[in-house]
Amino acid sequence: MTANKYSVLNTRVHNVDGYAKVTGRATYTFDVKLPGMLYGKILRSPHPHARIISIDPTEALKLPGVKAVVTGKDTLGVKQGIWRRYPELCDEQILTIEKVRYIGEPVAAVAAITEEIAEQALDLIDVQYEVLPFVDDPMEAIKKEAPMIHEGVERNVNVTRHIEWGDVEEAFEEAEYVREDWFKLGGQAHMCMETRATVASYTSDKKLTVYTSTQSPYYHQALLAGVLGLRESDIRVIAHYVGGGFGGKFELDASQFCASILSMKLSKPVKIVFTREEDFVATKRRTPMYYYVRTGVKKDGTFCAREARVFSNGGAYTGMGATALYLTGFFHSFPYKWKAYRYDGYRVYTNSLPSTSMRGFGAPQAMFCSEQQIDWIAADLGLDIIEIRRKNAHTTGYEVPGQATIGSCGLNQCLDKIEQWIKDRGKLPKNRVIGISAAGFMTGGIFNWFDTPYSFSSAVVTINYDGVVELHVGAQDIGQGSNTTLAMICAEALGVKLENIKVHSGDTDHCPADLGAWGSRQTLMAGNATKMAAEDAKKQLLEFASAKFGYNIVYDVDIKDGWVYNVARPERGMHYVDLVKEALRGKDGQRIVGRGHYTPHRKGMISPAYSYMVQAVEAEIDAETGKISLHNCVTAHDCGQPINTLGLIGQLEGAASMAAGYGYLENMPVEDGKVMNPNLVDYKIIRAPDMPECEIIEIDTYEPEGPYGAKEAGEGLTNPTAAALGNAIFHATGLKMKQAPIMPEMIVNAFKEKKKGGGTP
Amino acid sequence: MSLKCPVCGKLKKDPVDCARHMFGTGDKPHKAWFEAQGLSYIDLLLSQATEPGNKAYIEVGGLIAKAQQG
Repeated sequence: MTANKYSVLNTRVHNVDGYAKVTGRATYTFDVKLPGMLYGKILRSPHPHARIISIDPTEALKLPGVKAVVTGKDTLGVKQGIWRRYPELCDEQILTIEKVRYIGEPVAAVAAITEEIAEQALDLIDVQYEVLPFVDDPMEAIKKEAPMIHEGVERNVNVTRHIEWGDVEEAFEEAEYVREDWFKLGGQAHMCMETRATVASYTSDKKLTVYTSTQSPYYHQALLAGVLGLRESDIRVIAHYVGGGFGGKFELDASQFCASILSMKLSKPVKIVFTREEDFVATKRRTPMYYYVRTGVKKDGTFCAREARVFSNGGAYTGMGATALYLTGFFHSFPYKWKAYRYDGYRVYTNSLPSTSMRGFGAPQAMFCSEQQIDWIAADLGLDIIEIRRKNAHTTGYEVPGQATIGSCGLNQCLDKIEQWIKDRGKLPKNRVIGISAAGFMTGGIFNWFDTPYSFSSAVVTINYDGVVELHVGAQDIGQGSNTTLAMICAEALGVKLENIKVHSGDTDHCPADLGAWGSRQTLMAGNATKMAAEDAKKQLLEFASAKFGYNIVYDVDIKDGWVYNVARPERGMHYVDLVKEALRGKDGQRIVGRGHYTPHRKGMISPAYSYMVQAVEAEIDAETGKISLHNCVTAHDCGQPINTLGLIGQLEGAASMAAGYGYLENMPVEDGKVMNPNLVDYKIIRAPDMPECEIIEIDTYEPEGPYGAKEAGEGLTNPTAAALGNAIFHATGLKMKQAPIMPEMIVNAFKEKKKGGGTP
Repeated sequence: MSLKCPVCGKLKKDPVDCARHMFGTGDKPHKAWFEAQGLSYIDLLLSQATEPGNKAYIEVGGLIAKAQQG
């Protein structure tokens, strides 16, 4: 092991907000109470598709304690979405006016003095519907006779996305083996521990303060301004603590919208907290997809061409689903070199809950299909599963044609480590088998669909008289530990100790704009902005130190571990706090303020950098019951320079848990447009006893675009696990799993089919 | 043979690439071009999506090339 060249980075640090969280002093939106606060509840559609004839709130308003009922007619009727650059994709009125398009869509909202009264009032609102024919499967929704869900959108095709490079037909001609398969991938709930929640407080001076559980306070500030007719700066969004987001909380939801509308009507604070059931049925989910994959290879395993076609079940509205559709096509080529590649993706509106971004952003679906098919091809051609991946793996400097340049890549080292781990594991216990999967992921999405003029990330560093450093960032900590990561980067760049850094985030009045916590942006983008701001502040301090010490070159002076010193003679110097005091007096009491910002320019279509990983899962499959148990989950992982090794392990284990859930547990059946298991009893997630032993093998690389060489960790690892599990089943039984999640009955039925002589499914 | 998109003028490397761009953009002006040629945008798109080969792109690409040669 090489010595750590950093003082703060690459160490094991507990989260800077850990004390507040474990002692219960951290204030989540659920905990916010304001004087005179009312409670809101939302009436939701019981129909997957219906025209609203009338809404009569008379009886509800007679109930003692009810203060207001609002419907779509109380709103500006603005269709909203994140796509300010592409208005045709902004298709959602949060309180609908004419039509409902899924079960759970908000129809009206009530404010009352208690939550119970608000709940009772919902039953008294009389809504007359004209029920319309509905469709909840994309392959049905594209048929000519299918009902039209959005006016003018023929055959319900919402968006299409296409990627192509090389001559696909020619490359297939060169292939000596071609395989094609269809897959079906299900949805997945984000399952945040903190359900959607908002407290909105509008005052007579036309200012709105919104406490909310969000991944991007800036997005919500701007989106609320658009739908409420207010100026952005008159809205303050506060999200100091957030109990998870996973991609589901950066769009505007009904809690923010309805609480704000009610508060504006009553000039009183209104709180809306979703129940767990509401979080299941009335918020967006991971995108279900039908996937067709055709792959051509040489007999020695060299990849020639791949063609993929995807129909995604978009649900009722676009949300972030258009990006998920693009990214699934992009990551389906990952992490391999293809001479020619073609992807055609079609997102289809259906009368079911909308589909959107979720941790992995389209890649878990892509990897489930791709990585299993590679094992099937290897088996048909008699090739080694590691060797076929090694032969085609991305390498540093590779250009994904027209899409991305790979600045750093440790994929081959990952393959080496996993190969070694499998060898070291030796003979496995009975019924156990190992499956592997590789993956790569973006480090910060380069998508400005929001059309913001602000930089993608920005930071301000202020140094106080006592040496304490105030770091203001717009980046949102949603529980992933970004405040800790950014504090560490700030401390390292300034040369001070971590305890000197105070992070301020989650408040649009005091923090600079940032696009938020999605697409694995925080470490690289907010990290670069923070590093730049800290270096700016440090430069100002060093200019003062240099003048004070009288050295002839400014670079002679540096700061490390809170000691300001002559680089050639480190014993000559002074304590950082003493220098700060003198510097402030020398500047007539003016604070030292450093500023930093980061926006990727000329860094490709998707991301400035990519992480890589190879995972092996050891599973046990019970042929009688179809039950799957995971026993070991080992990941060789390239995230460039690790910042906080403890946070890194937490993120990777969390990702493996969510990914395994996607692979074999988290089934989200939708029948007649209705989610059939909207509770924590029937929707199965990984519990502590289900969680396998996890091991992380960190691969050292240096990402030139990242702060101190760092890149993504934690989102990418939601991508390989389901495929690795599918591969374990394949190697144990010969069964090919073409649906996720892999349910026990699929395994049992596949065995029955096999016994009947039907071969593998 | 590089071609200009007949709607937005974007330069594409060949007729099929140009057709792919037109289907992929799929906004009102691009859809209107299909109608003006007597074609159904959505039928062609879905035939491309559900049938093997690259027929719809090749057909539309051919039309674009022909129009520009003329």
